[in-house]
Amino acid sequence: MSELTIPSRTAVPTWVADLNNPPAPKSKQNSIPDPPGYPSSQAVSSSKKKDAAAKDSSKAAAQRKAPTGAEMDTLKVKKAWEVALGPVKSLPMTGIMMYMSGNSLQIFSIMMVWMAFKNPVMGILATNQAFERFETETNRPKILQVKVAYVLMQLLALALGIWKVNAMGLLPTTRSDWLAWEAQREPLESSVPAL
Amino acid sequence: MLPPQLSAFLLLALPSAVRAVFQDEVGHIDYHYELLGVPQRETTFFHRPRRDAKASLLYTLSDVGVLGAVNPTSGAVLWRHLLNSTAQDAGGFLRAGEGENWVASALGSSVHAWDAVSGRNKFWADFGGEVKDLEIMEMTENHRKDVLALFDESDSTVLRRLSGYDGSLVWEFKETTKDTPLQVSTNVEKVFVISLHGSSGAYNLKVSTLDTLTGRRLDEFVLGSKSDVHSREDVMFVGANSAAPIVAWTDDSLTKLHVNVLGTKSRQEFALPADTLAIEIHAPHLVQSQPHFLVHSKTAAGNTADVYHVDLKTNTITKAYNIPLQPGAGAFSTSSENANVYFTRITEGELVLLSSSSPDVIARWPLEAGEPKTHPVHGVSEVVKKTAGSAGAAYAVRSAVVTSNDDWVLVRNGDVAWTRPEGLTGAVAAVFAEIPESEELAKSLEQEAHSNPWAAYVHRVKRHVNDLQYLPEYLASIPTRLIASVLGTEVSPKAGKPSRDSFGFHKLAILATKRGMIYGLDVGNKGKVLWANKAFDIPKGSTWNVTGIQAHDSIGEVTIHGSNHDYVVFKSDTGKILHEGAPEAQVKTQSTAAVDNPHGAGHLLLPVGPNGDIMDIPTEWAPKKTIVTRGSAGAEDLKGVIFVPNGTVSSPLTSWTFPLPHGQRVAHIATRPSHDAVASIGRVLGDRSVKYKHLNPNTLVLAAANDAASTLTVYLLDTISGEVLSSTKYTGVDTSKTIECAMAENWFVCTFFGEYTLRDNPTQSIKGYQIAVTDLYESELPNDRGPLGDAQSFSSLDPIESPTGLTLPSAISQSYILGAPIQALQVTQTRQGISTRQVLAYTPTTHGIVALPRFLLEPRRPVGRDATPAEAEEGLMKYHPVIEIDPKSVITHERDVVGVRRIVVAPTIVESTSLVLAYGIDVFGTRVAPSFLFDILGKGFNKVTLVGTVAAIAAGVVGLAPMVRRKQIDARWKAPM
Repeated sequence: MSELTIPSRTAVPTWVADLNNPPAPKSKQNSIPDPPGYPSSQAVSSSKKKDAAAKDSSKAAAQRKAPTGAEMDTLKVKKAWEVALGPVKSLPMTGIMMYMSGNSLQIFSIMMVWMAFKNPVMGILATNQAFERFETETNRPKILQVKVAYVLMQLLALALGIWKVNAMGLLPTTRSDWLAWEAQREPLESSVPAL
Repeated sequence: MLPPQLSAFLLLALPSAVRAVFQDEVGHIDYHYELLGVPQRETTFFHRPRRDAKASLLYTLSDVGVLGAVNPTSGAVLWRHLLNSTAQDAGGFLRAGEGENWVASALGSSVHAWDAVSGRNKFWADFGGEVKDLEIMEMTENHRKDVLALFDESDSTVLRRLSGYDGSLVWEFKETTKDTPLQVSTNVEKVFVISLHGSSGAYNLKVSTLDTLTGRRLDEFVLGSKSDVHSREDVMFVGANSAAPIVAWTDDSLTKLHVNVLGTKSRQEFALPADTLAIEIHAPHLVQSQPHFLVHSKTAAGNTADVYHVDLKTNTITKAYNIPLQPGAGAFSTSSENANVYFTRITEGELVLLSSSSPDVIARWPLEAGEPKTHPVHGVSEVVKKTAGSAGAAYAVRSAVVTSNDDWVLVRNGDVAWTRPEGLTGAVAAVFAEIPESEELAKSLEQEAHSNPWAAYVHRVKRHVNDLQYLPEYLASIPTRLIASVLGTEVSPKAGKPSRDSFGFHKLAILATKRGMIYGLDVGNKGKVLWANKAFDIPKGSTWNVTGIQAHDSIGEVTIHGSNHDYVVFKSDTGKILHEGAPEAQVKTQSTAAVDNPHGAGHLLLPVGPNGDIMDIPTEWAPKKTIVTRGSAGAEDLKGVIFVPNGTVSSPLTSWTFPLPHGQRVAHIATRPSHDAVASIGRVLGDRSVKYKHLNPNTLVLAAANDAASTLTVYLLDTISGEVLSSTKYTGVDTSKTIECAMAENWFVCTFFGEYTLRDNPTQSIKGYQIAVTDLYESELPNDRGPLGDAQSFSSLDPIESPTGLTLPSAISQSYILGAPIQALQVTQTRQGISTRQVLAYTPTTHGIVALPRFLLEPRRPVGRDATPAEAEEGLMKYHPVIEIDPKSVITHERDVVGVRRIVVAPTIVESTSLVLAYGIDVFGTRVAPSFLFDILGKGFNKVTLVGTVAAIAAGVVGLAPMVRRKQIDARWKAPM
């Protein structure tokens, strides 16, 4: 108890600190506007203003030393790396699910295959959007590396989808898949039995 | 735990468990003519199956060797037995003792007695030699009726009396002589054996009189002067069992009739009407009947008859009266009731009942002339005298008449009670023909095909505008068709005229019989006989040897070629004969080849003469194909013939010959069917690699039997080069049993009776009916198209040689033991060959047609181990040496189909189904779907439920819509309470 009371003398009580710095609310739905005066209303309202808002809104943050531009860049690149490696983190899970769903053609495996193809392709197409918020004038070369890594990771996820499709026998890789295009050999002579 | 064998068997049984014919399809998709064959005059009679039975049955032993009993009221077969499985002209004998509950038959070397009601065998006895006559001894010492059977054994005549109780031998009379035994006869006291004595062309009749009790010879004498009788056909009649049996014979020119009352030595002569072509004698077979007989004379102008009476005391014969001549053909029959003897005369227009004692007509019924016009050939009658009240005696007459169209008709008091198309038996060739479209349409289509596109288009538009006049009629027919479709009832075809259907199930089956008749059956209408027509008059004892039958669907005609340079062309829908060539004396046509018609669609039949000789042909008509034919009949060889143009005439040239090695004879030859669609050129294995099929249309399978060595060699020949592509030798084969092969796609099957020595235990062997199946592939390796690679075409005359020699197909074979013998092999055909195939075969022991699925006969089934998952995916099961005839795979299900000679199949428009027609003695037709009915709905599909459900949902929507709408509006506008 004594230990607990000692800091309370030197600084503001914990509950005061908690009251002043409430935890960031979990916003579930972006479509529903927060009530007026809700603390993080500005922070969530727009991702573009987020950085600026983070700088000047929070009083607790204001107490800390504001990060420098270089630090911000490092932080952003770090964040960007996290985003870039995101797809590969879910790969084991996807792989297990794909393995479990079997190679037969049913609604589950078809949906999984669809998702396995759709997600990487959409991800690659939306590469720039995904890294827009991390990109600054200074860290562009680094972000480019991250982007390349991101695309590679998406291709890895795509490869998993292709592996699945192949396992399901949907890829025309065997001779039998092209059998229908092979023509029967025509005989040059013909005969008719009279037996 | 199941024993491994049993579980393997269950596995085998599983796929076929669903192959059964569904119960609601019986009688809907299949049809069956349960036939006896054309009844013979001497072996057909009415008989009471029990002494106290009121109704009698009609018994016959037909010309194809089927013995059967028919209910005279309905015409239904009560029971029947195939006595002669070779289905040649049977002859044979059938007798029944008065008041006995059994009938006795004799055919070949055996004598049978059958229960008259059930048809169960009472006894049978086999002897050496051939049965020449059979009689029932009506009067014996122990009130039992016994069987007398006359046998012709090599250089001796044997008469055996068999006990009517169990067939045991009572006594035997044997005489070593060169005489030809003819007939046996009996009266109350004695037994007479009549034989032909003398040399060929100049016979005398010899009568041996025997004692009934011991069979000892009492007397023997020769009737008449030297060389009275020329052949056994001159002896017209030998009566039996009457009070005074007679023997009657004529001279060669049919001017005089000689009659002798058996037991006396005198004979009497009677003049026959001038220009008599044939005579028949009818007499009662009962002891108590008056000894009267009738001589029926057929002349060119008509038919007449004389009735004679025998005086029992003096044994003299007097002519009682004459039945006047009537033009046209007629038939007489005898019926006796106690002492009274009645004669029935059936002519084209009427049925007349006469008594034997007076020339007055007792009763007369007019007969309606049927279309086409037929005339009676022979018949049997049963006359019942009804003691009607004041009007005097009334008579009921039932006559079973064989007509000139080989129908068996029962006429009851002048009305036709039933008609049995017995002429369908003894079919020798059959073909499926399309129902011809209207000639107008065919013509206009042809016109459109030949004109330029614009004119064709205009013509077509005009035709469609013209077709609009049928629109109201079509619209009017929609409701009935819709209702019929929903309720699943049959739409009645328009006034008996067959029409095509969208599934291709409605076809015509054209049958040619050995008696020279042609038949058209409507397959879509349960095989109803559409028409019957006589192509040729085939003399009795010979058969119409059809060498080729071909349907020309584009013009609606069918051509049949016979072996004696005879041919007939007729309309397939009416049977109307367009032109024909009568048979000649010599055999001129060995076989026919269906060659392409250079001036039109379809095929023409090219006759091939004896020894495989073909005449010179004008070059423009000369076939481009190699014709494969047999060489001379004696030599066992095959040859290929090509036509070499020599100016305007092309002459045949033998391009190759394949003589069989010494000692071998051709047992069977199978070729690929003319319609053999191949859906896929390879087989996909479990690992998705491909085994390419060896698909050569110019191949045939030749099964050659070596009788001395008991071996069977199966050759696969290339029919262009005559090269042997593959051969297999089977040892321990019984060459006297059926050896047959069938071929389709890239595989062939052969069935035979053989002995198989076990590989792991050479001291043991399995005997049984086997089926050997061989698959042909381009290469042993998967994903390999063989040495020809991706070549677009191939030539048998220019084969690719590898360092080891000629490249041959890779053959994979496997043998199975069958649960029952099979014959008449045929492979199902479908339109595109996508459906799997079945091997159809007749099982002669169980009288059924079995469909063996091709995957059961797969030669790649793994032996001695379970199938790997990849193999199981391919559908391969563990090899099991025995293929049982699963009753569920029998497409004839419970029907008893007798004497099938051949099975023909035809594809339909729907891929799943193949039409089947089996002929021989019975005619059976059905549809088979080897891969199930995947493209049409079965009868089990309930359209009423479907339509009802849709209607109920629609009604629900209509009913609920306002309620839902009101509720939605309320939800918006009403404040919550």
